Amino acid sequence: MARVTIPIGPQHPALKEPESFIVTLNGENIVNLDMRLGYNHRGIEKACEQRTYVQALYLLERVCGICSHSHSSCFIQAVEEIAGLQLPPRAVYIRTLIAELERVHSHLLWLGVAGHEIGFDTLLMYSWRDREAIMDLFASLTGNRVNYGMNTLGGVRRDFTKEQLTEVLKVIDICEERTKYYIEVCTQEPTVINRLSGVGTLSHDDAVRLGTIGPTGRASGVNKDVRREDPYLAYGDLSFNVIVDNHNDVFGRAVVRLLELMETYKMIRQIIAKMPDGPITVKAPRKVPAGEAFSRYEAPRGEDTHYVKGNGTDKPERVRVRAPTLANLQSVAKMLENNNLADLPIAIAAIDPCFSCTDRMIGTISSTGARDSIRWDNMRNYSIKWYRKQGIDFTDLNRKLAKKQE
Amino acid sequence: MANEETIKTELSRKFSFLADKIVIQRVRRIFVDVPQERFHDVCEFAAKKMEFSNLCIITGLDDGDNLQFIYHLARMDGIVLNLRTTAPKSNPVIKTITDIFPGGVIYERELIDLLGAKVEGIPHGKRYPLPDDWPANQFPLRKDWKPEMLEGLSGRKEEAKNG
Amino acid sequence: MSALSVILVFLGYFLLLSFLGTAAEYIDRKLYARMQNRIGPPWFQPYADLIKLAAKEDLIPEEANSAMFKFMPVLAMTAVLTAYLHIPLWNSTPLISFNGSIIVIVYLLTIPTLTFFLGGWHSTSLYSMIGAVRTLTQLFAYEVPLLLAVLSPAVLAHTWSIADMSEFYSNNPLYALTNSIGFLVALVALQGKLERVPFDMPEAETEIVGGTFTEYSGRLLAMFRLAIDMEVIVGASLIAAVFLPFGLHFGLVIGVILYLIKILFILLLLALLRTVTARLRIEQMVVFCWKYLAPAALAQIFISLTLNWIVK
Repeated sequence: MARVTIPIGPQHPALKEPESFIVTLNGENIVNLDMRLGYNHRGIEKACEQRTYVQALYLLERVCGICSHSHSSCFIQAVEEIAGLQLPPRAVYIRTLIAELERVHSHLLWLGVAGHEIGFDTLLMYSWRDREAIMDLFASLTGNRVNYGMNTLGGVRRDFTKEQLTEVLKVIDICEERTKYYIEVCTQEPTVINRLSGVGTLSHDDAVRLGTIGPTGRASGVNKDVRREDPYLAYGDLSFNVIVDNHNDVFGRAVVRLLELMETYKMIRQIIAKMPDGPITVKAPRKVPAGEAFSRYEAPRGEDTHYVKGNGTDKPERVRVRAPTLANLQSVAKMLENNNLADLPIAIAAIDPCFSCTDRMIGTISSTGARDSIRWDNMRNYSIKWYRKQGIDFTDLNRKLAKKQE
Repeated sequence: MANEETIKTELSRKFSFLADKIVIQRVRRIFVDVPQERFHDVCEFAAKKMEFSNLCIITGLDDGDNLQFIYHLARMDGIVLNLRTTAPKSNPVIKTITDIFPGGVIYERELIDLLGAKVEGIPHGKRYPLPDDWPANQFPLRKDWKPEMLEGLSGRKEEAKNG
Repeated sequence: MSALSVILVFLGYFLLLSFLGTAAEYIDRKLYARMQNRIGPPWFQPYADLIKLAAKEDLIPEEANSAMFKFMPVLAMTAVLTAYLHIPLWNSTPLISFNGSIIVIVYLLTIPTLTFFLGGWHSTSLYSMIGAVRTLTQLFAYEVPLLLAVLSPAVLAHTWSIADMSEFYSNNPLYALTNSIGFLVALVALQGKLERVPFDMPEAETEIVGGTFTEYSGRLLAMFRLAIDMEVIVGASLIAAVFLPFGLHFGLVIGVILYLIKILFILLLLALLRTVTARLRIEQMVVFCWKYLAPAALAQIFISLTLNWIVK
């Protein structure tokens, strides 16, 4: 088979969000990969500048559906640093608890997606069923299954009762049992191993050079975890191991995430055991003084960073968000070199991409509400032109179309 | 704070002009103002000799007459070195740091698209994150930019008209 | 037989086979769902799907070879149906029987795969073409093990007629047990023929959208779907006739019940295989088929030959 160029995206069953990967294939082998990002740009950074800190907090929580608590915590952490607020210990622990529970549901979600990408739907169904337990737990703890809205300037918005915390422990026990089973599945089932090991290899040197972070980096031996190096929230008081693996491939990434889950369960038990009593908020000023802060946070997918600059008013001067996927995406092209087309979905999925987080800003819908309406054939022409520009060959189609128009 | 102090002395010994520009903001956070012309050297020194091998992100700011760029470099022990440099808005040219941090290319593309910075020596590639038909000279993150400025400029509309 | 009776028999078989096929789809989906801890579809789901598809518009790509594109689903269905006529169901006499029928069946069952290839190729979509190439690659991988596995019982029975084979084994049921390796090989190869997980690369949706069927819609897709459903029954019947030829002499009622039980058993095994595995890569599939399946089938033939020699 000669070389063909096929589009994976912007709309494709393997991608849960619109991004475009233009793949050149030699038979089934990938010879070139061209990425185009930015389809989810929503203008959040700009929008934050026109909102008060509390409004921006809720907006930033919606940067991503899965690691929503990560973004809001990371942001509020920076704001509290500028404002010089000292959080009450109970608030710190509650935030940490939510953060770790979020990691559980994010990693279980990833496991399911990975299963689906390699055509192992049973794994998807199983792990998402177990993830439901965590989602229900979130609903009972925070009132929401996603976008919990727990953070507020100077603390958290809900307190937990003893019974609720016991309930958490119960759910965690179940999840731990299930996770052990998944570890067995992923390390023993031959078809799974066949599809995961040796796929999407990223050597340690490349991982360091490209600044890969989070579980993706840790699976390539990059021993980095913000929770340990730059302790925030209650992580300084907790004892846990950072899971590092040297497989350098998708298999390693799966192992890292699964073992990380086991660590997370350990941490949640510690958090609940150590949970101090006391108030959950301190009084926060409406206006935040001028100043800047750079905040780091280990989201489930890797290091999340926010830079916040205040100018003395109740609105931030500048908010800068770097979601983990943006840092990891650049290693994808490297991972896919000389891989099989069949491995493309799982290799992309293995960095646990969240393109919504990555992009963050704009739409060309004008503010007056007058939307451009595009007619079907114009739209079709536009797409054909666009694909031709990307090197995707619909030549015959174009010729026929041109003839028709004449 | 011992490590932070060591970094401060080491940096100011190597680059004498930085002596009064280094601020230790808090534990593990150091902010340094670096003049544009020596920025690349400082950056390289920090990355190669002081183990700040991880570029977290580049933040771009609009502070009126100038564009500010903050390069957040992190080290294994959790210290973040924030190198700040500025360029005038009239001619916002900065040098690429992709030779030191290959992963930084996407952050630089963001600076180009959203703030209108001109990055010298950036590798060729697709733009990010704005659409292909985004009008030139519209930089959404500049303070003087308003969404109304897009009115009637949408490239898609013209495309649709031309068929 | 007069022309009319031929048409009526064909129609009857077609209705029977479509009924069994849709039932098999339901059972397969239900089993798959229950094994995955889901509830699964209601019994009429396959019919609902087919009716809905049939009500939709047939979209044919501008660049596609429209005659080929439309003809392929019909051909697939016809081939499957014709193969069904040659397989003994509840007794040892199929509708059409002659010496060599087993070879004919195996080759008739190859035609649907070729139609997938041609249909995909002629729809000129990039995804379809990759899917089509994969279909063909896969065909070369599982076809040989399947043929070898089905041949070894024939070697033992000294006949190329599936009817005589059934007769032989129902008279000597212990012989059938010696074919168990061949049974497993045939099951796995059948899974490949049906393009189901772990061998569903030709239509792997996360890689190439819908593979060969990407451009198919409406009635044409419904026909392909029905043909695949029928192929499940025909494949299972073939395996049941060749490897599980038990209880063929108890009359119609018990014979039919036994036949259904055999089919159910095979469906259960196929669904189980699909539940516990991930999709392989195409080259892994080829390696698997040639490295493990084909030698296993050869070993089965060797066992049959040895038995022949001992018994003689």
